[in-house]
Amino acid sequence: MSEPLIQLEHLTKRYGAITAIEDVTAVVDGRIIGLLGPNGAGKSTLLKCLLGLIPYEGEARVLGLHARTHGAEIRDRVGYMPEQEAFLSGMSAVELCTYAGELSGLPRTEAMQRAHAALYYAGLEEKRYQSIDGYSTGMKQRVKLAQALVHDPEILFLDEPTNGLDPRSRDEMLELIEDLPIRRSCSIVLSTHLLPDVERVCDHAVIMHHGRVRFVGSIDELRDTRGRDADLFVEVKADAARLADVLAAAGATCNVESPVALTVTLPLDATTDLVFRRARDAGLQIRGLGVRRETVEAAFLRVIGNGDA
Amino acid sequence: MSDATGPRSSGADSLRPAGTIHDLGYKRYVGARLASSTRWLVVMKNHIAHAWKTWWRFKSSLGLAVIVTVIAGGVMFLLQDRTVKGVVLPSGIAATLTDGTLPRSIQWYSRVAFLVSLTIGARVVAGDVQSGAFTFYFARSVRPRDYVLGKITGQLVLVGMIYLAGPLMLAIARLGLADSTDQLIDLLPVIPKALAVGALGTLAFACVPLGFSAIVHNPRYAMALWASYYLIVGGMAWVLSRVTDSGVAALDLAASLDRVAFWLYDLELVWGRAKRIDPYVALGSLLAHAGIAIALVVWQVRRAHLRGIGGAS
Repeated sequence: MSEPLIQLEHLTKRYGAITAIEDVTAVVDGRIIGLLGPNGAGKSTLLKCLLGLIPYEGEARVLGLHARTHGAEIRDRVGYMPEQEAFLSGMSAVELCTYAGELSGLPRTEAMQRAHAALYYAGLEEKRYQSIDGYSTGMKQRVKLAQALVHDPEILFLDEPTNGLDPRSRDEMLELIEDLPIRRSCSIVLSTHLLPDVERVCDHAVIMHHGRVRFVGSIDELRDTRGRDADLFVEVKADAARLADVLAAAGATCNVESPVALTVTLPLDATTDLVFRRARDAGLQIRGLGVRRETVEAAFLRVIGNGDA
Repeated sequence: MSDATGPRSSGADSLRPAGTIHDLGYKRYVGARLASSTRWLVVMKNHIAHAWKTWWRFKSSLGLAVIVTVIAGGVMFLLQDRTVKGVVLPSGIAATLTDGTLPRSIQWYSRVAFLVSLTIGARVVAGDVQSGAFTFYFARSVRPRDYVLGKITGQLVLVGMIYLAGPLMLAIARLGLADSTDQLIDLLPVIPKALAVGALGTLAFACVPLGFSAIVHNPRYAMALWASYYLIVGGMAWVLSRVTDSGVAALDLAASLDRVAFWLYDLELVWGRAKRIDPYVALGSLLAHAGIAIALVVWQVRRAHLRGIGGAS
């Protein structure tokens, strides 16, 4: 059985009197993992601990390696795309990526070949000889992705990769993120505030709040933590308000969205059969009924809210 | 090989603009990775390559060093019988240009090294702090010591090309101008002396500007600070030493190096800034400057490493 990507055991990190991460125990695995949390939740500190850059209490393992003692080895096997600019002034993209490869232990020839391939993959094939100083925000994001990829990492830590991008560039960046695990067999930890990005590309999520992990699991588990498909979207031929009334009388919570549509939250132990029965009794024709899936954003707010409570 | 994949076709995804992903054919890297103890070499090579890339950073200064060497060599060869003003042998006899040109040329190499320090040395750490380069370095298997060692050795190589190659050629030329084999043998120590002075100048003019670049986070301010120290503080120290008759002139790096050079070549200065400095004080000043500068670089790089990467936490 292969090692999980990340294992945390009673991980604690304190900055003086401030506890940035508090007694976190979790096993994180998946293809594309969203690392979510409000500002100050401890996401950046967790990344620093995982890369072996700062001391901490407890245990943190990445790819089975202890971050405390094997930080350099981990950083050779992990690619990091920072949120802020992290370039060397006066360098072209291909020079920067080649240098990045060499600093990760690749021989120069190999680093140069992979720099070209990574920049081509990131969509900078024609601009790779230009100085990065003159690049647009979107191009700089692509260079950051390429430099994180060049040494053939097994995990990529992407910190806000779509920050500052226009819709088209954001879309293309997300396509690359989706494509990476398929084409390059690497896993991705995506730290972001943009929950629609997580909804689109991630299959797993880690939610942090106040230095603690509030949720670890698949996106489906995150949405389904209520245990049943109780939230429905119902379409009727006419008079949605009347159906809402009869369902409310049966204990359901309803919200009329339009004359022909309403959302329904069923009472405990009830099934969709209740909706069909009450509609038939009231002489209303149902044209459509579907489970209203909770968005990642709603699930995130719920998890964070539970944490506060 | 290239191929393309469009967006996933399900539901709303089909509304996305079709981006194109190119791939030259990915293959997992299975070769060995170089030992992490060699990272400083990568940093050093990159530092030198970056300096060499544009004419104004280093090549122009190297050209000036070549001109200094050619002129000094020409003076030694063409004006052998003339004496050099302000420089005497221990016996009090005026030194000939053949003997005095080599130590005299050090002040010109210092001016060239100062140019290099402005275009490269005084910008290094401040420039990396400003551009976020430490995140780039420390997200990889680069340790602070690799960065410090790589940058310092890279700068030593660059400044050494000016301080070591030129004086060494002049020392060889001096041997070539010997009147006899006996004199040639007597003159042989000029080679290690030239190397010693060159090494000292290289150490000072490579490390001290780096130290200034570690004090502030803006490369322009770092350059201004270093230039102010070198030109203004050095000048003030000399004036102060005249008034107080003390060795404070040793704060002037170029004068200190001059003093050590003339001392090693057994020549006395009749006038000039360097005359007021005790050779041991000059030597101590150069070494102390370099030591403090290296400590500043280590301190700043360790701070950057402890801050780690990513956002502020």
